[in-house]
Amino acid sequence: MGGRLGSALAPHGDDAATIAELWWFMLVLGLAVFILFAVALVLGLRRHRDDGDVSARDVDAGATRRASRWIVSGGVVLPVVVIAVVLAATLVAMREVAASDDDAELTVEVIGHQYWWEVRYPDTGVVSANEVHIPADTPVEITLTSADVIHSWWVPAVAGKMDLLPERTNRLVVEAEPGEYQGRCAEFCGTSHANMDFWLVVHDDGGYERWLAEQAEPATEPPTAAARRGAELFVAAGCGSCHAIAGTDADGAGGAPAPDLTHLATRRSILGGAADGTTPDLIEWISDPHSVKPGALMPDVDLDDDEIDDIVAYLEGLE
Amino acid sequence: MSTDAEPGTNDELDDDLVDDPTTPRAANPWTVEPLDRLWDDKPGVRGFLTAVQNDAVGVRMMLTGFFFLLLGGSVDSFVMRLQLARPESELIGAELYNEMFTNHGSVTMFLVILPIFEGFAILTLPMILGAREMPFPRLGAFAYWTFLMGGLLYYSSTLFQAVPNAGWFAYVPLSGPEFSPDLNIDFWVLGLGVAEVGAIAGAIEIIIAVLKLRAPGMSLTRVPLYAWAMLITGVMILFAFTPLIVGSLLLELERGFGMQFFDPDLGGSSLLWQHLFWIFGHPEVYIQFLPATGIVSMVLPVMVGKKIAGYRWMIAAMVGIAFLSFGLWAHHMFTVGLPAVILAFFAAASMMIAIPAGVQIFSWIATIWEGRPRFNTPFLFVIGFLVTFVLGGITGVMVAAVPFDQQAHDSYFVVGHLHYVLIGGVAFPIFAGVYYWFPKHTGRMLNERLGRWNFWLLFLGVHMTFGPMHVVGLLGMPRRVYTYAEETGWGIWNLMSSLGLLLIIPGLAVFCWNIVYSYKKGARAGHNPWGADSLEWALPSPPPQQGWTTAPIIRSRHPLWDQDDLHAGTEKQESLVRALASWPLNWRAVLVVRTTDGEPEEIFRVSDTSIWPLVTAFGTVGIFAAELLKLRWGALVSAAVIVFAVIMWNRPSPAPMTEEEEIAFEREHGVPVRAGGSLIVSRWGTGICLLFLSIGFSSFLLAYFYLRIENSVWPPAGVDDPSIWFALIDAALFAGAAAALLSGRRALLRDDRRGLVVGLAGGLVVLFTAGALLVYDLATTPFSASDHAYGSIFHTLGGFVVVVTFISFVMGVVTLFDAARGRFSARRYSWVDNVSRFWVATALFAAIGLAVLYGTPWFTSGAT
Repeated sequence: MGGRLGSALAPHGDDAATIAELWWFMLVLGLAVFILFAVALVLGLRRHRDDGDVSARDVDAGATRRASRWIVSGGVVLPVVVIAVVLAATLVAMREVAASDDDAELTVEVIGHQYWWEVRYPDTGVVSANEVHIPADTPVEITLTSADVIHSWWVPAVAGKMDLLPERTNRLVVEAEPGEYQGRCAEFCGTSHANMDFWLVVHDDGGYERWLAEQAEPATEPPTAAARRGAELFVAAGCGSCHAIAGTDADGAGGAPAPDLTHLATRRSILGGAADGTTPDLIEWISDPHSVKPGALMPDVDLDDDEIDDIVAYLEGLE
Repeated sequence: MSTDAEPGTNDELDDDLVDDPTTPRAANPWTVEPLDRLWDDKPGVRGFLTAVQNDAVGVRMMLTGFFFLLLGGSVDSFVMRLQLARPESELIGAELYNEMFTNHGSVTMFLVILPIFEGFAILTLPMILGAREMPFPRLGAFAYWTFLMGGLLYYSSTLFQAVPNAGWFAYVPLSGPEFSPDLNIDFWVLGLGVAEVGAIAGAIEIIIAVLKLRAPGMSLTRVPLYAWAMLITGVMILFAFTPLIVGSLLLELERGFGMQFFDPDLGGSSLLWQHLFWIFGHPEVYIQFLPATGIVSMVLPVMVGKKIAGYRWMIAAMVGIAFLSFGLWAHHMFTVGLPAVILAFFAAASMMIAIPAGVQIFSWIATIWEGRPRFNTPFLFVIGFLVTFVLGGITGVMVAAVPFDQQAHDSYFVVGHLHYVLIGGVAFPIFAGVYYWFPKHTGRMLNERLGRWNFWLLFLGVHMTFGPMHVVGLLGMPRRVYTYAEETGWGIWNLMSSLGLLLIIPGLAVFCWNIVYSYKKGARAGHNPWGADSLEWALPSPPPQQGWTTAPIIRSRHPLWDQDDLHAGTEKQESLVRALASWPLNWRAVLVVRTTDGEPEEIFRVSDTSIWPLVTAFGTVGIFAAELLKLRWGALVSAAVIVFAVIMWNRPSPAPMTEEEEIAFEREHGVPVRAGGSLIVSRWGTGICLLFLSIGFSSFLLAYFYLRIENSVWPPAGVDDPSIWFALIDAALFAGAAAALLSGRRALLRDDRRGLVVGLAGGLVVLFTAGALLVYDLATTPFSASDHAYGSIFHTLGGFVVVVTFISFVMGVVTLFDAARGRFSARRYSWVDNVSRFWVATALFAAIGLAVLYGTPWFTSGAT
């Protein structure tokens, strides 16, 4: 897919398509209202010239009638008609957006963290981060909750926003065409709010099942000597107390919540979009996390450059 | 420039003078000068600190507002636009950017527009209404000092490297103790909290000024639309800021005292904050917008030389906006997962506001159609307002459409929309107002050529900056991001926005230069340079301190256009205004009129210069600063300072007339004089203070019941229901205290001064007992204030009743002191009256509070 699909005006999901239609409709209507107003204003301004006649300040009976006509037609009838139409369109669009809510065929659980997305696929044991994979043209229920502060799920090309609150689980049912869509956190959630992007990957032709099966596998064995050293360091340096890697001693159970890295190398970007995940990106991230992603909970680790190179070699092999 | 600015230069000695000689002028009796001295503040530093005069207070508030605008509104936004001008910019980092957008929103919403409008109202309302002063000059001074100190306290965060960084909305849990452990948010809550207290003090002053302090004959239907707008705004401030203060208090109790209101694990709810915040936050937009429409309704008719069309429509529209604005806060919460029915309701309510706004727009258009426009700078800004605001209103209807808002919400589309509304709808009218009223207060016209540059640079700059934001928002750009990737394709739109600054900055510079230049060298302005219709233009430019020496007598909504003589009326009215201007009343006498028809009701002595408002403001800021520094004893000291200062503030000075002289004056003019203190204005003041307390109390109740609904088990498991018997007994004691004082008050009205002392003393004993019992019960609850939201709200609501009881008690003690010394009589009893009202209100707060705290668990146990 070329470029990033992240515009609400180029919809690839049924909710976004409904909303885009509503937008174009309201835009045309709004322009019409503005033109009406502007014509009335310009004509009014050009009607009389100031001639210094102070006797004209008074309002005669005819003028009062004319004013009432203006106010009733422009100030009452026009807005009432316009908002009746817009409200009707709104209610229709709300119905359409909600139409697929009861038809969801599968569920993906999303948990917001400062500043990354934990993604769980119930009944499969698959846990991932910053990427949500769903099958195409199928209503999928996304459940949304937060482990810390309020975040908001927003994939403009597919659907509107929904907040992730610590006190409850919201749900959003989405249905989209195949493609990869940019998602973002839309509710200010702290220092690196701007670095909390994610991808919604919509698979066609059984791609979703294939992807899920791959993700359910434990991590691949380190392919090189450097990667093997990295694997040992990963556990020894304590990375594994926060980050889980399935099939290894890194169970992520001992520390703060952190992304599961079992299949890190298959992801489209890392760090919620703060970096693409190239080798230099990973090295920079581990050496100095807070210059890449300010405010992230990732601690500064006490490793020399060679050790970091080894860990990166390990991580890049996690396919 | 005079040909542009003005219908006809006059034929007096000075060719340079801009004036309309056809309109009537205020009388100029010999007492103008002695009264001018009498009403002026004292000279020197001491004079500066004790100043209460409305011109001084008003101008200070406005200048301080403009100062904060330059600091927070401008510098921050310039830096932010530089940062966003290109993708992946590394000019400033995430932390600084987050601090800047937090600061930009907070300062402009709390420290800029509000003080500019309140200050402007305090400065101009007396002149426009034909009065001499605001009703409570010391309260006005207090409003200014608290506003200034709150702003400085907020800004002092920079010195401590703890700049607030959770957005101007400070959503919990991000702003809570867990995720913002440093002092940043405390500066936000406490600094702005002080300023909010000032906003409410100013609002009380403004409401009573418009309702009670007007010229004889100025009935409600003759009150200029600007004053109407400020009246409605004042009421809105009272209803909107009070819940915010309560919400901020809850947040600070959670941050500083470990209480629990917003943590879902301990019975709290993060949405409670959002509700409390937006119940304030949405009306706040209209609190800023209504005064602006008031200005437009004054400037536009004058510039087209035609009376405003649809005066009553306008008032109805403003009242409608005020009501509606409190019913649509949840449209800021369309994405939190509210049920669809609620969403549809708030969408409809939000769109409805287009109707009163439409009425206003078309009233102005109708006026333009009838009139003969003069295209000078104030009018250009009015047209700029109309065009920009209508665009912002149209996008406003769009974002009320729920599904569309779910895309637009928290995106740059909303940033574009709100700046169209606030710059088009508020800033442009402020500029129009400055160009329009500058000559009145300085005696100089602003330069017209510079004015046109000012307008066109700003108008084009604003559309260039904020127009593209709508597009980039729909392209997927969220708000409050300090950076974006190049691949997003947002760069070009952001660059356009940033380039708009190249027009806005010179536009603002031209404005500043125009003020400086014209203050010294502008064309001289006479009484009425624009040929306007409202009262202030009958006074000299600049006017004397007391404004109106001889009060005008109003027979028209447009006195300067319809009346040949401003001081002609019925014989009774004429003799009264002459008496008011004459020397027997050689003190700060102010006329009070009946609310509806503007007939004189009372003449009272308005308070004079005093240091105590400043000391009280210090005490207020001291409490907040002590909380910031976690010096709990500092808060106690500050509270003691407040109590002492408020007592001193309200100490009466000797009445300049004896009761016999007052009675003689009343017999001659038919209007009572109360040189010892107003009966009517102080009744209104007390009433509005009690209204303020009631709104605060209601907000606590709202929080209580919201938490009750969020928790299926209430009180939490393991906690017994509180004792209903205790509540019944204590509520009866509170009622008994009020009854004792009321019997004392009745005795005083029979001139039985001993009866007052007895009733008051007995009431104090009972009130003390009631309060002490409540304090004891709160101190010995089997649950703590910090384990669960139940205990936190229980202690907070109970604490509110205790604080009100304490205030009542202190008032009672002061009253007893004065009563024992024979200060009160059957004629001078207003103080006793007001304390009685306060005690009755205290008994009601106690009854309701106790019923809720002690009764709710039992009454709602079936609901779970």
